Order: sequence, then structure tokens, then C-alpha cells
Amino acid sequence: MVSLKAIKGLSNDVEKFPTIMMMPINILLNLIAIFPLFILVYAAVTNWSPSTGVWFKAHIIWGGNIIRMAEDNVLQYALLRTVGMVAVATTLEFLFGLVLALLFVEEFRGRRILVSIFLLPMMVIPAISGFMFFMMFQQHGPVNRVFSILTGMPFALPWLNDPSYALVSTILMDVWQWTPFMFLILLSGLLALPADPINAARVLGASELTIFRRVTMPMMKTIITIALVLRSIECFKLMDGIYIMTSGGPGYSTQTISMWIYEAAFKYLDYGYVSMIALTLFISLGIISWFAIKPLRGG
Amino acid sequence: MNITIRKVIKYAIIIVAVFPSFFPIYWMVSTAFKPPVEWVPKEPILFPHNPTVENFAIMFDPKAASYTSTTTIREPINLALQNSLILSIGGTILALFCGTLAAYAISRFKAGGDILPQMILMFRMMPPIAAIIPITIMFAAFRWVDTHIGLIVLYRLFNLPLVVWLMKSFFDEVPKEVDEAALVDGWSYWGTFRRVVLPLTYTGMAVTALLIYTLIWSDFLVALIMTNVSAYTIPVFLANYSAAYGELYGPLAATGTFAIIPPVVLGLAIQRYLVRGFTFGAIKR
Repeated sequence: MVSLKAIKGLSNDVEKFPTIMMMPINILLNLIAIFPLFILVYAAVTNWSPSTGVWFKAHIIWGGNIIRMAEDNVLQYALLRTVGMVAVATTLEFLFGLVLALLFVEEFRGRRILVSIFLLPMMVIPAISGFMFFMMFQQHGPVNRVFSILTGMPFALPWLNDPSYALVSTILMDVWQWTPFMFLILLSGLLALPADPINAARVLGASELTIFRRVTMPMMKTIITIALVLRSIECFKLMDGIYIMTSGGPGYSTQTISMWIYEAAFKYLDYGYVSMIALTLFISLGIISWFAIKPLRGG
Repeated sequence: MNITIRKVIKYAIIIVAVFPSFFPIYWMVSTAFKPPVEWVPKEPILFPHNPTVENFAIMFDPKAASYTSTTTIREPINLALQNSLILSIGGTILALFCGTLAAYAISRFKAGGDILPQMILMFRMMPPIAAIIPITIMFAAFRWVDTHIGLIVLYRLFNLPLVVWLMKSFFDEVPKEVDEAALVDGWSYWGTFRRVVLPLTYTGMAVTALLIYTLIWSDFLVALIMTNVSAYTIPVFLANYSAAYGELYGPLAATGTFAIIPPVVLGLAIQRYLVRGFTFGAIKR
């Protein structure tokens, strides 16, 4: 009760009130975010691993981990692969989402229920969608079956056992799960567009394609940017589904940067090295996201 | 005529698109009702020939299995379910508490200036896996690994940015005149917040809470790393058994079906607010 009274006393002070309101979040950030950051920076310049003893007794090797990163092919491929997956998956999601959203702009019977059905995949737990696609892509599973019905010949691709098919499967999983996200955002953007400019263009005799390219898309620019930025940032973290579906395999063929950090840290217990990678990621993503979130903070 | 053709094409595309979008979910749900012989036959079975709820029974009581298998799920889902509930509810309440206070201070008093809100948002953009290594070290020192308290603190941390930005967007919608009128009437700052402004954002709080609940319930990564034998959640439970007993499709599909019910129901319930939720309040429709 003392603290409550103190809050009441202070709550008439315009200087102190915001400080008190920010206290819970500040304590948390300082304790759980700032302090570990120091551990991270320290561990990044050591070769620490649990097998070499406690962290403060680890051997300091300064830039040794950076040299290791420059020479680590597995890491570089994981990074390249992740960036490629983000590019492919985000593009596909955007295109599919846009086409669907355009189909849903006009009111028609059953629209509400169909929107809900199309949104379902993004509500599925990502780890469980990994399990779903693990079942779907079995050699005797539904995907091969559908292909053999469509093509008329037996189809038995070893989706998850072949490096390049496995990569395709993981991208398909992400596209399946997050196309609804693009669809939802683009649809809400399209529905909120003012009707006047579009009608005016139509009266002036512009074709539907021209209206779309010259009127609709420019007005959608901010929303499209927000959707693409958010999706690529989220996609870069991709791990849950892959962990269950392929565990990064076969070989390293579906390993994303998150999967790789997980394995290096908790399978090979290479804490020092992983800390340096994490630190590098923090700094580079920090710089990227500072610019990327501009449309979000613009308000 | 032209319009009719366009309508037909439109419906055709939508129907073609519904199939891949809905089928994976259908496949898991239908597998959950299949007896063992129908799990991985040479030809996939679209509708279970002999529907059974045995898989769900096995989920809660592994001894209920009528078939003998060299590999059976040896543990019921009970503990994982209990953990998932405790962590989701605990994490949601704490994140909402801290986040709402901060959001109000940021919305009304510009607390933290321009930098802090953006730092909070940037934190959300980082891959959690990169943050988790130093946190593991700290948690090991606190003996917080594999405990509810540790995970709740972590979930609160990872979801705070969303709460702050979302609640800020809801507070921004309450006109400043409301605050001013309350202050003129003699309310304290705390009273204005608690008794006047906060009740106006109850809908927003409910939406935020449901969204955070869904996110924590769906989390896999944090739980995978931070839990071991006592605090593991449903996705980790599923992952462990899918790795160890991958061929037990039925019970695993039943677990998956069971696990996605809350997020799907809650997601549909807050469908109107999903855009705002997923864009951190940037798009308000």
C-alpha cells in the first residue's frame, strides 16, 4: 500500500508520472536486455564453450571469431540461403496475396466466410504447419498424389529427402502460411482506398489495367511497403516449421541462419563463436531495420 | 454477358485457391481421426474409412492405445497443456501490464522521446535466436531455465514491443481533450489514466491480450531452448514426439489439431483487428 500511496502522491507531478509509468518496462529492459548484451559482447571475443569452463574464465581471442566467420562456408551459405528464401517467399506471397485481394475487393456472396477461410493458415502454429507439411510431402502423401492425378502419370518425388526439393518444400510452407498475411493487409488497404480517383479515371476512359497501375498501386504504396518490410523481417527469422519438417536437412540444404545459430549453440556448444555471429546480426539488422521501420513509425 | 464471364472466372480462381489453402489443415485434422492402417497407405485416403477418436484418447492417456507398436507416445499431453496455459496467460498479463503503462506514457507524455519507442520496435525485429544465447547464460545463473517464471519473463520481453505499439495506437485514438477535461475536473494523472482513458480502450486491451496469448501459445523457439523436462509447451511436446516417433501420425495429428484450436478460434474472433495487430498499429483499419 505504501507504493500505491507513493504513486498517488507523485501522480500529480507532470515530471514524475511518466517516469513511474515507464518503470516496469525500464526495469525489464535493463535487466533482461541490457545486461545480456554485455555478456554477448564479452562472449563474442572469447572462444568460450561450456567444455572449457565457466564463461568468465574463457580465453579471450579478440577478432578470432570474425576471422572464423569469414572462413565459415556453412554459415555463409546459410545466410545466403536465408536471404534467397526471404526474397522468393516474400515475392510469391505478395503476388498471390495481391491477386486474391483484388478478387475480394468487390462484395459478393460468401465473401466474409471465404476471407476467414483464406486467413486460417496464418493462425496455425508455425511449428505445427511444419508437421502438416511433413505429412503432406511424404513420398506416398497427398502432394505427390495430386500431382499424379493432374499429370496422369505416377509421381513419387522424394520431397524431403532431396536437397533442392526440400528447399522448395520449405519455401512452399512459408508461402502457404503467410500468403494470408499479405492478402489481409493488401485487402484492407484496397478496401480503404477512396473511390473518387478510380471512378474519375474510369469516366475518363482509362482501361482497368491502367487504373490499377497508375491509380490504385501508387495509392497503395505505403501499405505495400509496410507489408513487404514486415514479412521479410519475419521471414528472416524462419525456423519453427523447418525444425520439425526437415531439421535443416538433408545435409545443410534447408538450413536458415536461425537454424544454424541454434545448432551451433545448442548442438556444438560453440558459445563464443555464436555470440559473435549474434552480435554481427544484431548490428547489421539494427541498421537495416532502423531504415526499414520508417513507414511504421511515420504513423 | 461480359460481367457473368468475369464472375465465373473470379469464382473459379477463388475455388482453385481455396483448395491448397485449406487442404493441409484438413489433412492433419482428418489424419487425427484415422486408425493406424490409414495413416500412410500407398494411396492417400481423403476421408477416414473407419473414423476413430482413439488418437485423441491416446493423447491424454497413452495406455489407451488398442494397437501395439514398438514406439508409442509414453507421456500424456497434460503437463504440456498445463504449461502452455500457465505461460500464455502469465506472459499475456505481465506484458499487457507493463506495456499498457508505457504505451500511455509514450502516447501522452512522449516519454522516452523519439528514440525509445523506436528502440522497442527494433528489438522486435531481431531474430529471437540471436538474443537467446546471452539470456540462457543469465537464466542459468538465476536457475530460471525450465521454470515458468523464466519463460513468462522472456515471453513478456519478446511481446512487449507489440503491446506498447498496439496500445499506443489505441491510446492515440482517444482525443487529448478527454484527458484535459478530466484533469480540469480535478483528477490526478493516475486517476485520469485509470478511471477515464483506460476504460475507453478496453476493446483495444482485449484485442491486444488475445493476440499476445495467441503468439505465446504458438511460440516454439523460446520454449524449445528454455525448457527441458518440466516447463515444455505443446509445440515442443509435438516436436519431441515427431522426432522420436515420426511414424505415429495419428496421435501427432491429434495433438496438432488440438493445439491449433485456440489460435484459430481467437484469430477469427479478432479478425477485424488482425491488420492493426500485425502492423504494430501502423495500419488502423
